[in-house]
Amino acid sequence: MDRIQLAFRWVLLSFLLVAGVASADEANQTWGQLTESQRQVLNPLASEWDTLRPWQREKMLDIARDYPKMSPEKQGLVKKRLTNWSRMTPYERENARKRHQQFKALPDDKKRELRQKWNEYQKLPESERAKLRAESPETYGDSGIE
Amino acid sequence: MNMHKDNMTNTKNTNLIDDSVISDPVMEEQIARGISDLLNNRAQHLKPELEQRLSAARNAAVNHLAEQQAQYSTANQVAGHGHVLRWFGHAGQNFEQHRVASTALIVVVMLLTFFAVQQFGSTHNLENSDAFLLASDLPPEAYADKGFDAWIESN
Repeated sequence: MDRIQLAFRWVLLSFLLVAGVASADEANQTWGQLTESQRQVLNPLASEWDTLRPWQREKMLDIARDYPKMSPEKQGLVKKRLTNWSRMTPYERENARKRHQQFKALPDDKKRELRQKWNEYQKLPESERAKLRAESPETYGDSGIE
Repeated sequence: MNMHKDNMTNTKNTNLIDDSVISDPVMEEQIARGISDLLNNRAQHLKPELEQRLSAARNAAVNHLAEQQAQYSTANQVAGHGHVLRWFGHAGQNFEQHRVASTALIVVVMLLTFFAVQQFGSTHNLENSDAFLLASDLPPEAYADKGFDAWIESN
């Protein structure tokens, strides 16, 4: 094999290897190893950070990365909702992502209507909401947010 | 004998050539044919030493051509790594000889492309990140609560 080709492949392989190792290292960081800015954003998760799995930490670190790009109002919402988000199952989170995409595609009046309905739903007694949840099928269809 | 006569005629013909005759296309073709016949005829009666010299000259020419082709294919292999450089014209052709420069340039271009794609990807995915879901108009529980779906349908 030509030496130049061999050298080129080595450079590429090393580069990919370094990128992969750097990403894996970040997801394995303990709470104490996080940067000050990351700790500030992820503060609601401080007590449980070290128990999170690497892929969970990776997702949370992505949130910390995007956090500075948001307005102060949105940043407040993120901090407030972070704990509940971390306690959701991967299945629930994946469905929430899909629903969020559908929600974003709705016209403004539909979004307003859904926000209003969510507020009304929150006013229902917890027993009634639990009953609705229990009666609903496990699969998340496209109904509701349409 | 006949052939010898023809040759003699051809020789006479060629000796009689002047510029006005060459300008006539028919005569020009006849003259060319005469020269060709004369050369063919002489070629049949070459001395052995002359044949040997011609054969050696032919071999030398063929070997020289083979060497040239080998050098050309090696140069092409180098150029194979540096085709991009050819786009820069003469300066690029000079660089083709420098394998290290070619490889370094390709690596740099690849790295720049990688970072550009990363940057574009992160900008493109920004709106789809979990951070923006958490900051959405509805809380994440609303998207994941199947009871909410059922309640909307029933209303």
